[in-house]
Amino acid sequence: MALVEVRDVSKSFQSRSGVREVLKSVNLSVEEGEFVSIVGFTGSGKTTLINILAGLLKPDSGTVHVAGKNVDRIHSDAAVVFQNYSLLPWFSAMENVRLAVGAAFPDWPRDKQLAHAKKYLEMVGLGGATHRRPSQLSGGMRQRVAIARAFAAEPAVLFLDEPFSALDALTRANLQEELVRLCSVVGRRVTTIMITNNLDEALLLSDQIIPMTRGPRATLSAPISVPIPRPRTPDQLLHDHGAVRIRAKVVEFLTDFIHTSPSRASARPVPGGQLSVMEEQA
Amino acid sequence: MNSRIASILLPICGIGLVLLFWAGVSTQVPDLPSPLKTWQESKLYILEPLEKRGEMDQGIALLAYYSLLRVAKGFTLGIIIGTPLGFMLGLSKTFHKMFDPIVQVLRPISPLAWLPLGLVVFQKSEPAALFTIALCCMWPTVINTMSGVRSIPQEYWNVSRVLRLSRFQTFTKVLVPATLPYMFTGYRLSLGIAWLVIVASEMLTGTPGVGGFLWQEYNSLIYAHILLCILTIGIVGFCLDRMMAFVELKLQRSN
Repeated sequence: MALVEVRDVSKSFQSRSGVREVLKSVNLSVEEGEFVSIVGFTGSGKTTLINILAGLLKPDSGTVHVAGKNVDRIHSDAAVVFQNYSLLPWFSAMENVRLAVGAAFPDWPRDKQLAHAKKYLEMVGLGGATHRRPSQLSGGMRQRVAIARAFAAEPAVLFLDEPFSALDALTRANLQEELVRLCSVVGRRVTTIMITNNLDEALLLSDQIIPMTRGPRATLSAPISVPIPRPRTPDQLLHDHGAVRIRAKVVEFLTDFIHTSPSRASARPVPGGQLSVMEEQA
Repeated sequence: MNSRIASILLPICGIGLVLLFWAGVSTQVPDLPSPLKTWQESKLYILEPLEKRGEMDQGIALLAYYSLLRVAKGFTLGIIIGTPLGFMLGLSKTFHKMFDPIVQVLRPISPLAWLPLGLVVFQKSEPAALFTIALCCMWPTVINTMSGVRSIPQEYWNVSRVLRLSRFQTFTKVLVPATLPYMFTGYRLSLGIAWLVIVASEMLTGTPGVGGFLWQEYNSLIYAHILLCILTIGIVGFCLDRMMAFVELKLQRSN
């Protein structure tokens, strides 16, 4: 069995205008040590999916297994990096990270927890800002703290929910590199599932890219593997034939879904949908 | 510079105008003491603020101190009851559905209505006064704490769940810090109400304090002292509110 195994997960929400089916029979399996990106349009239910994977939401039907265990509550070996950083504003960067360390290693004395938190903050380049509050940090620095917080718990599985989407292009590129480096520095390869709407990001980081159909009733299509040798650079990915082909394949998948989804096709013309994918690449 | 002079001068002009109006009215109403007469008759109480001449016949600072002490006790009691009540109303839907209607009904009841009930239950004036102050002043704390808890963003709850914080940790590390600014707004409003209630409760129970003194002097036909008490109550209330506003501001800055 794969490390993360999702079978037939569906989820709908009650709203005033009726039932909204967000996810419909989602299947996913991720092997240990893999980096998998789920790529899809904004509003297709990606966050709902990652919340279910992380155990924050219960699916209506279907099962999620992480390391063979059924995820019916928060998995003890998983960490999540949220889109909006989600740091606690009343604590310093250090205390935000230490809180995660304390939860993961409750038996450690406080000194050891602090040292561990400091080590990870230094790893993301925030050794000098440990005592600043989130409000005194820039967006990029906040997300660094959030990443340090996730890695400091030394999780077996890492869930990233559009971790860089709120950042400007330069900061984003920096942090992507940082993430690649962190994954290797940590020693063992952390199994990572990342949600993103940015294809370049997915190409740069992943072993596999899984396109997600547009909601409602979103589902995952077959994974597309990315056999490009590491380390990868954004420049290389623009010219590498393999990368170009994979990019084309993913875009084709995503636009195909629009063609085949009648309810959406009328609401939003095809070029619009395609354009949004293209824009995100630029 | 100009605006600084204006900010000192204008309030003085305002006070002057009000005194003038007061003096004008006092010439028409025979029983209303003029500002000058009020000062002459109250001089003793203001210039010897800590003098104790009898049970009620005391310096104004001493009387204000008794009232403040009573308010402090009642207010503390009120927020000790009100804060957890607010947390429970904010956290539990069941609890909210069960008790919110009662809260809404009890909220508008005047201190004058509670006090006799307090006297019946406690038989003594002091606990009855505290009971009345606590019961009247706790509502802003309850309501504000409740809405503070309810407006905690989902992301903080998610963080607490993802980090697998214990219930106690979630309470101390997430719930309380996130609600603190709301709680303090509630405390500030509660203190204001507690100070409002003090006069009524002292008048009815006849305990020494600004309100008790006010009522006694009314009965002794020394009307100048009524005005002295009114001014004292206003000034003390103003200072209390400024003080709480200052603490509130500090709290908001640190968050």
